[in-house]
Amino acid sequence: MTPGMEHDLMRLLHGELPADEARVLRARVFREPELAETYRRLEQTWHGLSLPPASPIPPGFTGRVMAHVRTQAGSGSLSWSAAPGWVRATAAAALVTGAVLGIGVGRTLPAPRGDTDSGAETSQTFLSATAETSLADSYWSLIEDATAADAETEAQP
Amino acid sequence: MTTDSATSAAADPGWEALARVAAGDVEAFALLVESHQERLLRLCERLLGDAEESRDAAQEVFLKAFCKAGDVRPQGQVYTWLYRIAVNHCLNKLRRRRLVRFLRWDDPAEEAPAFDPPDGAADPAAVLEARRQWQMTRQAIARLPENQRLVLTLVRFEGLSYREVAEVLRITEGAVESRLFRAMRRIEAAQEAQRSGVSMKEARR
Repeated sequence: MTPGMEHDLMRLLHGELPADEARVLRARVFREPELAETYRRLEQTWHGLSLPPASPIPPGFTGRVMAHVRTQAGSGSLSWSAAPGWVRATAAAALVTGAVLGIGVGRTLPAPRGDTDSGAETSQTFLSATAETSLADSYWSLIEDATAADAETEAQP
Repeated sequence: MTTDSATSAAADPGWEALARVAAGDVEAFALLVESHQERLLRLCERLLGDAEESRDAAQEVFLKAFCKAGDVRPQGQVYTWLYRIAVNHCLNKLRRRRLVRFLRWDDPAEEAPAFDPPDGAADPAAVLEARRQWQMTRQAIARLPENQRLVLTLVRFEGLSYREVAEVLRITEGAVESRLFRAMRRIEAAQEAQRSGVSMKEARR
């Protein structure tokens, strides 16, 4: 039995063969025991597949759907899932371009030197600290420093 | 094929309802819900295996269809378009669920939901046999690769033709046929294994 013939038998079983081809194949199945056996096996497999009947339509289903639809129509809000593909693609492209540009600019611009601003100093400390310790540790140490500074300010008369 | 699609598109009143929705007539969508809720609910239940979840899913599918009403081009039948949205939606749900199951180390085939015996089933043996059959079908289908499971469900339980399945899944009829054939092979093997398992159990008694 060739796979091609089995495909044809399956199509016969599913009513997918053109009428004239189906007639010819049915006649062969009737005559040839091997074909008949394969067909019977396919039929058994196919009809052996059964599932319980689907649940009935829940009462008020249309009403519930329409209530949501009206809310959606009334709000007129744009959701990403509802937006056309090109809008989503453009937004994603803009996001990626922005991120790439940001990284590029950050890498090419020289680091500020001789800046005495305390905020810049803090950032420098933070950045140099991250190189040695983990980002989370540096973050927490910055918070602790800030909290300690606040406490000192509050303690002063 | 194109002419067929155009003809059937013109014949399907659902497209007209969708055009009205796109033009701002929200209430025209009710017609679409009424006409297609039964098959969409059934499809979602077949794919998700849970009646409760399928109601939410079908509702979300209709909402998606409503949002897309302005973008859709009439082609073929409205229900194949709705089926496509439903299939993709259910697949996303299943993938999320599979991820959770993977993290919990669950066996997909063990997830057979409980069922109620059909009303008026007087013969307990028949009920038991039906239950065994449903259980086996669910397990066998759950073990199929996703693309085969979809095709099998759409042909066997939704009664779609190969052409309609190809339209819903946007694949060729040849691909439908070959996936279905492989699915049949696997199901057959599963049925065979189950039968021999049962007979071995019987032999041990």
